[in-house]
Amino acid sequence: MLFSLMKYEWRNLSADRTPLAIALLLGAALAYGAWNGSQWVNFQRTAIQSALQEEQERLRGVRAEIPKIESGEIKASPFTDPRLPQALGRGPGARYAVMPPSALGALAVGQSDLYPYYFKVTTGSKQTFLNADEIENPVHLLAGRFDLSFVLLYLFPLVILACSYNLVSAEKEGGTLALALSQPVTLPALVMAKLLPRAALVMTLAVLLPLAGVVMGGTNLSADGAGVRLLFWIAITAAYGAFWFALAVAVNALGRSSATNAMALAGLWLMFVVVIPSVLNVAVKAAYPVPSRVDLIQATRVAGDAATRQGSKLLARYLEDHPEMAPAEKGGAPDFGTIQVAVSEATERAVQPVLDRFDAQVAGQQRIVDRFRYLSPAIVAQSAFNDLAGASAQRYSHFLAQADQYHRQWREYFVPRILRKVKLSTADLDQLPTFRYREEDLSDIASRLQIAFLGLLIPVLLVAFPAWRWLGRYPIAGS
Amino acid sequence: MTLRIARKEFTEMLRDGRFRGAGAIVFILLAGALLLGWRNHGEVSAQHATAQQATRAQWLSQGKKNPHSAAHYGVYAFKPQVPLSLVDHGTDPYTGVAVWLEAHKQNEFKYRPAQDATAVQRFGELTGATVLQLLVPLLIVLLTFNAFSGERELGTLRQLMSLGVSPSQLASGKALGVAAALGLWLVPAAVIGAVAIAAASSQGEVMASVPRMGWMALSYVLYFGAFTGVSLAVSAWAPSSRSALMILLGFWMMNGLIAPRVASDLAKTWKPSPSAFDFGQQMQLALTKGSDGHDPGARAKVLEAELFKKYKVDKLEALPVNLLGIRLQDSENHGNEVFDQSYAALWDTFTQQNRIHQLVAMAAPGLAMRSVSMGFAGTDFAQHTHFAKAAEEYRRMIQRTMNDELTYNAPTTGAPYMANNDLWKKVKPFDYTAPDAGWVAQEQAPSLGIVGVWFAGSALLAAWSARRVRVL
Repeated sequence: MLFSLMKYEWRNLSADRTPLAIALLLGAALAYGAWNGSQWVNFQRTAIQSALQEEQERLRGVRAEIPKIESGEIKASPFTDPRLPQALGRGPGARYAVMPPSALGALAVGQSDLYPYYFKVTTGSKQTFLNADEIENPVHLLAGRFDLSFVLLYLFPLVILACSYNLVSAEKEGGTLALALSQPVTLPALVMAKLLPRAALVMTLAVLLPLAGVVMGGTNLSADGAGVRLLFWIAITAAYGAFWFALAVAVNALGRSSATNAMALAGLWLMFVVVIPSVLNVAVKAAYPVPSRVDLIQATRVAGDAATRQGSKLLARYLEDHPEMAPAEKGGAPDFGTIQVAVSEATERAVQPVLDRFDAQVAGQQRIVDRFRYLSPAIVAQSAFNDLAGASAQRYSHFLAQADQYHRQWREYFVPRILRKVKLSTADLDQLPTFRYREEDLSDIASRLQIAFLGLLIPVLLVAFPAWRWLGRYPIAGS
Repeated sequence: MTLRIARKEFTEMLRDGRFRGAGAIVFILLAGALLLGWRNHGEVSAQHATAQQATRAQWLSQGKKNPHSAAHYGVYAFKPQVPLSLVDHGTDPYTGVAVWLEAHKQNEFKYRPAQDATAVQRFGELTGATVLQLLVPLLIVLLTFNAFSGERELGTLRQLMSLGVSPSQLASGKALGVAAALGLWLVPAAVIGAVAIAAASSQGEVMASVPRMGWMALSYVLYFGAFTGVSLAVSAWAPSSRSALMILLGFWMMNGLIAPRVASDLAKTWKPSPSAFDFGQQMQLALTKGSDGHDPGARAKVLEAELFKKYKVDKLEALPVNLLGIRLQDSENHGNEVFDQSYAALWDTFTQQNRIHQLVAMAAPGLAMRSVSMGFAGTDFAQHTHFAKAAEEYRRMIQRTMNDELTYNAPTTGAPYMANNDLWKKVKPFDYTAPDAGWVAQEQAPSLGIVGVWFAGSALLAAWSARRVRVL
């Protein structure tokens, strides 16, 4: 029975031009969103490529320059002589720490346009290279991108609501509901029969188009757990869509007119997609206000001044802590490079508590968001999409931690050589530490996503269950 | 008659629980957003003011130092928070808060506040501007979508017409009714906003804030008027209330949510901005084509020849000025040319991108309104660059002062030279005045024009559709 009802419903849908138009619109939006996302990924890839190319050319230049300086062909000042570790580690030898776009990067721009994805790591303090923000018209950052995640979060629910707001009410208003129910079929079965073809149409589009985009974009589905990520993407999309279908059924089950249903559903959409997220945003900011970063600038400055003032004293203390790094030959005033090492380390140590304060406030905000995001499936889906596309703040801090570690490694290579006044040769260039980005652990992401999935599934059940009960009391005839 | 219709509409809306509910929600969100904005503004502007004083104190207490060391030490310029920014944060969360003014280099602004927020921020911030640009138009749509179609469906349109009411009277009466009902919620909110802005302003700022507030209020009224006109027109023209609602909701979606993103993407595609990496590389390349002051290279010979000619001497030792000072200023001059070109090109790209936004705004007035609102709030990109340029001028002044000191007061023999407090004091504190409302109005003229045209056009459209309304 269900099957034949579905068949008739499908015929109904095919005869009507509206579902086709809606489907085309959604399809076009999805395709455009996927294209936009891939443009952004290409932009990042190109920038990374140019950076790595610049690094190679620079190192090749240094390699060619060193023998010429050794033979006395060119003269170099102590600031630029690449044989001196303090000069090489600060500029000519610097290497990039790079986070490439992830396998599904094209699906969501997320936070990736806000945080740097490469750093030029030097022996200088962290503050000197961590601000490698991408250039972008701030109006664009404000508006956000028309990416796939936007289409799925904002437009996909509207498409669902547009094709199901009058699921039952239209039958009633057309006078066909009583007729249909005079057949051996229950109202829930009828609703199912009407729902499933619609869901099949919309969900197929929402799931298949991104899939096609990813596959055609040449993503290797076996690498980096891309396949698993894609499966999760589909599951989250489906669960998010199911929530909106359930909502439409629930509103229909209240037995009001099509017009009222449309108004109510539009209001709910506005609530979940626009109002709750922005209210949550101000709430977390009120609970954990982050001071302006000018505080950090001032703290860095004060610490830097203090460290510079007692530069040589700091160096003495530093060498007491690290006697193994003391210069080979005694005597002679410590040079600029040596003092700089001590100064920049002291500055960084002094600023760390201020940085930690900022991080703690943002972490506090994130905690509240994590707890209250279940109020709106849109927030749950957004953070899941960002996670899957590698465009989340978590992935950025994961990268930051690795860059930080690399920076330490870089210093561990250079600082002893600076202190011992070693002169480097071309052979040493091959020994410089290199950075290799390690992708986030799939199991970490998976555990976050399982929670997100449940956070979408439970609301579906919470809405569907009363909807089912209300359908049992549906006023089939009369008003 | 028009007034009578307006009064009937007004009373009807007040008695409608749905309007009361929706209006109350909008009012609470608006008032809440303004109050939170006021609190946040107070904190941040205090932090910036303190920091600006601290950076000045640091500059003055440098002690004995070579002027060029002082130039390298530099100062910071912190972007001030204009009081009206509590209504509309505009691009402020996405532009840096401070710039380091040091020797040899025009730096980028650092630390975008949005980097210290969660991803929820990207759904949009709840500010006065969000409520006014997104939610109030929706409220207008809900109040007016059945203005004509509803009367027709109830059969009352026939009666009205038989009484001799002209369609344009009916349309203007309905518009007035909606305006009065909206005013009931929005005027108190505007008062709260004005009080918050006044409380957030220092003595001098109040006078500067008033014309900005006036312009902002006027443009929002025009924007709401445009939405009312479009709604009435659609209501008169659509076959049924239901289709009127669908069309208007579609327009609202397109205007508020889709158009901003599409405009950004189009602008990026048509007028791509360079990556930060390419921008930096290009600038570096242009810089190395001149001297960097520390390592004179080929430029030194040219410079020396010029100096020999100017001072009529034939060897360096005979020069009455310090050569290092001359070289440093020479490299600054070269750098300034490069920075002027690079940043002018970049900002020009952004301006062209924003022009594409204006083009899209002809179809979606929300974009124009967003731009106008940011403009009068003092948080648009034009005012960011206004500050950036002032900061850069100040940096160049510091460099010139330091280099002149070296050139004319340091020993010409090249022996080490230390300047003291007197020199640091010669550099006046950085005093920035934000442009006035007239400047903003000029900058925003195209967007203001678009909002105005939408207002006038929608009024005409409403009158025209009303005259053609199907009575039966």
